[in-house]
Amino acid sequence: MTMDAQRGRSGPAATRRPKEVWPAASGALRSVWRERARVAGESIAYVGQRWPTTVVVWLLIGAALALPAALYMVETNLSRAAGEWQGRPGFTVYFEPGLDASVSSGLATRLRAEPHVGDVRLITPEQALAELRGQTALRDAVEIFDGLEHNPLPVTIRATLVLGRSPDRLQEIAESAGLIPGVAEVVIEKTWLERLAAIRDVTRRIGVIVAALLGVSAVLISAASVRLAIAARLAEREVLALVGADARFIRRPFLYLGVLYGIGGAVVAAALLAAALMALEAPLARLFSSYGADLHLSGFDPMFLGVLLGCGAVLGALGARLAAAQSDRPP
Amino acid sequence: MPGIEFSHVVMRYDNGTEALRDVSVVIPEGSMVFLSGHSGAGKSTFLRLVLRLESLTRGRILINDVDISRLARRHIPAYRRHLGVVFQDHQLLPMRSVYDNVALPLRVARMREREIGRRVRAALSTVELLDKDRVLPGALSAGERQRVGIARAVVNRPKVLLADEPTGNLDPALSRNVMSLFRIFRSLGATVIVASHDTALISGMGERVVELADGRLVGDSAA
Repeated sequence: MTMDAQRGRSGPAATRRPKEVWPAASGALRSVWRERARVAGESIAYVGQRWPTTVVVWLLIGAALALPAALYMVETNLSRAAGEWQGRPGFTVYFEPGLDASVSSGLATRLRAEPHVGDVRLITPEQALAELRGQTALRDAVEIFDGLEHNPLPVTIRATLVLGRSPDRLQEIAESAGLIPGVAEVVIEKTWLERLAAIRDVTRRIGVIVAALLGVSAVLISAASVRLAIAARLAEREVLALVGADARFIRRPFLYLGVLYGIGGAVVAAALLAAALMALEAPLARLFSSYGADLHLSGFDPMFLGVLLGCGAVLGALGARLAAAQSDRPP
Repeated sequence: MPGIEFSHVVMRYDNGTEALRDVSVVIPEGSMVFLSGHSGAGKSTFLRLVLRLESLTRGRILINDVDISRLARRHIPAYRRHLGVVFQDHQLLPMRSVYDNVALPLRVARMREREIGRRVRAALSTVELLDKDRVLPGALSAGERQRVGIARAVVNRPKVLLADEPTGNLDPALSRNVMSLFRIFRSLGATVIVASHDTALISGMGERVVELADGRLVGDSAA
């Protein structure tokens, strides 16, 4: 007896397209967000029930996130320190002695019109000598000058670069100033800027490399931890599959678990950074003050914390996704 | 009209073992059928094929006129939501209460919590465990756990109810109780297939019996 015979048909079974065996239930009321909130609650409970393991995972991910975050803060503060430094990059134009004042004042006016040039200061020989008198270390030199009939110091212009502008343009401006008749010498003071830029560049590159390496580490830590959770809940996965849960539904608790691991790790990283900043701020302030600068460490703000938490959540979720994909063997 | 048709089904595992050999059988909608046979006869494989836990080697399985062996993988979860499964070992989640275990298929189907509550209470009432809805499965007796498993299997009002040795761990009185529950669900329109080697129990039920031996269909009381 065949099913067709029972239905009073004689031919081979007329099979329908193998998409749906039964029609979809009509009027099924769904509460996706309620279910997700329930699963999130279960994941939080799971993390809480296994807190010793959770703390270890958070510390590992936190350590992995803290170093690139610290390098980011170093880079941010180096940039800021460069901007606030009193000895800002620039150049000094030395004029030939006895030159008409209109030449120097004309160049000063021209430089002030340059968008790349910030402060322009015209220093007369008298002002230069007065400055020398104010520096006790140069008292012997001042006494020599006092013995002379004429002040030998030249008229000078000190020009500084606008923050954030290219040092290459500074070079061009300085070179063009050197071509003006009556200019004896132009001294460009950008070596330290180049060094600082190089340090920032190295810091940034190291930061990117370290962030990539430790980001992968964070993903792997999350993946390994979630894989343990999956192994512990293998029976639950099988039962869920039997009652018709799709892969997304089965994976969801583990995805949330990965996010929790990642966010917890980010919180640990933020705490480590805060502790490091507290420990370093006083000695760094003393160091900066010895160079005549005030230290205001910046970068540890709500935006930074938000990005850190976001990165932690994404890395944790990636690890969970990796672990779930590896264990996806549909029964 | 859901019905199940096995047509020349051959199921060979990767190790070469033939669990089913050219099995052809039709189980009409709303009927109750016992699969009998000794251990290794192919009863569980029969059920696993219906559940799409295994893929057949040859032949065809039609359910509601659809060849389920051709179902795309992404459609299998939705297909399984129309099946209810009862296992000998219950397969209850130990960390979830009786209520949450029974509610599982409804949550998978993303039903509203109010509807879930209504259906779970109805299912637990049917198996006479409404007063233990907050209890964890570990605190229940074997018979109670089996009844929770049955409540979970029927809470989604499945069109096909599959039971693999559902009375294996139960005493005769409890076994008869479970079987009477299956009859209730059959009377509500579900197709019920029970795999069991308990010949005494099966013969006392007066239902159709399909007998398997060594993977072959060797008897059908309806034939």
